[in-house]
Amino acid sequence: MSKKKAAKRAGARKRGACTGKKNGPALKWQEKHRARAHRGHKYILEIEDAKKFYNPGKHNEVRALRGISLKVLPCEFISIVGPSGSGKTTLLDIIGTLLKPTSGKVILDGINTSRMSQSTRARVRRGKIGFVFQQYNLINTFTATENVSLALRIGGHSKHDSEKKAEELLKMVGLEHRMKQKTSLLSGGEQQRVAIARALANDPKIILADEPTGNLDTKTSKMVLELMKWLNIEKGYTFVVVTHDPEVTKYSRRIVYLKDGAIIKELRKTDHRVVKI
Amino acid sequence: MLDIAFRNTRRQRTRSILTILGIIIGIAAIVALGSISEGLNYMVEAQMETLVGKIIVHEKGASMMTAYSGSEITMEQVSDLEDLPGVKDVIPLVFHIMGTSGGFEFAQPDMAIGIEPEKQDYFKGEKVGMSEGRELEDGDTEVAITGSDYAEKYDLEVGDYVTVEDEDFYIVGVVEKSDNMDIDSSILIPLEELADLLEIEAYPFVFVVPEDIEESEQIAEDIKDSFEDFDVITAKDMARTVGELMTNIKVFTLGIGAIAAIVGGLGVMNTMIMAVLERKREIGVFKAIGATDRMVLKQFLSESAMLSVIGGAIGVILGAAGAIGIGVLSGFAASPVITPEIVIGAMVFALMLGLFGGLYPAIKAARLDPVEALRYE
Repeated sequence: MSKKKAAKRAGARKRGACTGKKNGPALKWQEKHRARAHRGHKYILEIEDAKKFYNPGKHNEVRALRGISLKVLPCEFISIVGPSGSGKTTLLDIIGTLLKPTSGKVILDGINTSRMSQSTRARVRRGKIGFVFQQYNLINTFTATENVSLALRIGGHSKHDSEKKAEELLKMVGLEHRMKQKTSLLSGGEQQRVAIARALANDPKIILADEPTGNLDTKTSKMVLELMKWLNIEKGYTFVVVTHDPEVTKYSRRIVYLKDGAIIKELRKTDHRVVKI
Repeated sequence: MLDIAFRNTRRQRTRSILTILGIIIGIAAIVALGSISEGLNYMVEAQMETLVGKIIVHEKGASMMTAYSGSEITMEQVSDLEDLPGVKDVIPLVFHIMGTSGGFEFAQPDMAIGIEPEKQDYFKGEKVGMSEGRELEDGDTEVAITGSDYAEKYDLEVGDYVTVEDEDFYIVGVVEKSDNMDIDSSILIPLEELADLLEIEAYPFVFVVPEDIEESEQIAEDIKDSFEDFDVITAKDMARTVGELMTNIKVFTLGIGAIAAIVGGLGVMNTMIMAVLERKREIGVFKAIGATDRMVLKQFLSESAMLSVIGGAIGVILGAAGAIGIGVLSGFAASPVITPEIVIGAMVFALMLGLFGGLYPAIKAARLDPVEALRYE
């Protein structure tokens, strides 16, 4: 498919199913942010020939990524799948600015993050990226509200504002009855929903999820995936999910297959055709 | 984010309490020893004030530490000293230790001091008046005046009697509190009477008062030249010796306190290193959600500073209470003096311990690779 056609199709999808304003009442503060969304850039994420080598040039060199190119439009829900050691998590870490690529470019919301300093990358993460982990990674001695508000406080919000916004987010993910509970007392599904609320705290441009259902049973997995789907469709959040779980791929509109550090194929939900090998 | 730091210190409650306890012990030691040494300093300064401009004369070989025992200055020699040019007055003194007031060996002994009544102001200071009764007067016999502490301790007032070597002395006055323990803890008796009572014919030492304070060094030299058997100590010499002694005491006491506090600081470091190890994954999350290295550093430093400041505050209170308690229970001559400098100094020291103790673990936490930290099991 030509670039022009792909862009046209993606644009159509953006205008249709994935607009928070049209499909559901976004929170006021989110609307304000969304109004400034994407700063006129067509792609929320552009990866150009990204390579990641560990111990480059040494006898124990590991080529985790061998030249990945990927473009993500706003409001997409992408799954990255592949066997262990295929480079999925490395790719997610590079998108999330936790790692720098050895070469190539990673452009997030129009900003090239691949050569940024550690502190600048931290600021990018704070404003543009939300993380959801397999292990939830919550502070168990804190309440659900405190866990979510922590992300906001790092972003410079006051304690009062942060807790207020955290409560709004927890309501949004259906945890209004668990807000004051310590997260150690919550079920796995509830903990993952708190983690999702935390990922949404700073109204990110993209949410990166690493095996979000890896620790959950089938029923809970489905509930979490439904929530992610709702956030994607109704609230317009972009998701990139690394997974082994076939259930997750059912919720994705695009599936990227990785093997030995390279993309070997891509599937789009609309046509289920292999569009790139 | 200080509230979060406080919450974090409460996560491992027992460990935090033990760490704080380490700081408490160190800071309490600094405050207690510091205020005792300050009290000593204050007391010595008060003693020194009465010596300003005076020259102590004693026989060679006798030392102040042994109250010049063995030193003998005869009445004839006192007259010769009076005849020296520039000498305004010579004050012979007799000191007689009657017993100590407490079991503690540093307790100020009860003393009877023999002094010529017309010269008593040289000894007690002109500014120090009488809180009750009158001063000693020429021709007084079998009378005494008491220092304020002595009177308080034995519940004495004008009209009571005090016994020295089986001889009763009628109390005619009580001296105002002077902060000079030689006066406050003593009774003053006319010189001749005490000398007769103790059957001594010579005095262990005398004070020489120069006409001009500026000339005291010169007069001291003249005394040394004229009396080969005598040694002299000027107020300046005394100040230097006492100053050195006080500095040594201060360095020693604060040194002990500082060692204790540094051990407490190492406790903070240990606790924070453990915290970094235990919360490695959390640090990874902290960074993943946008915390910079500096933020992580600040977070851990505030936690260690919080532990040490809490320990410092409790340590200051306990140290002050301990110093006062030691002062009261031991009957130590110098009351501990808790100055704002000691309190502020101890708090600043506690904060520094926390910051230095927490610095290495905080740097370690700040430099953690977020990817590695997130995968930490």
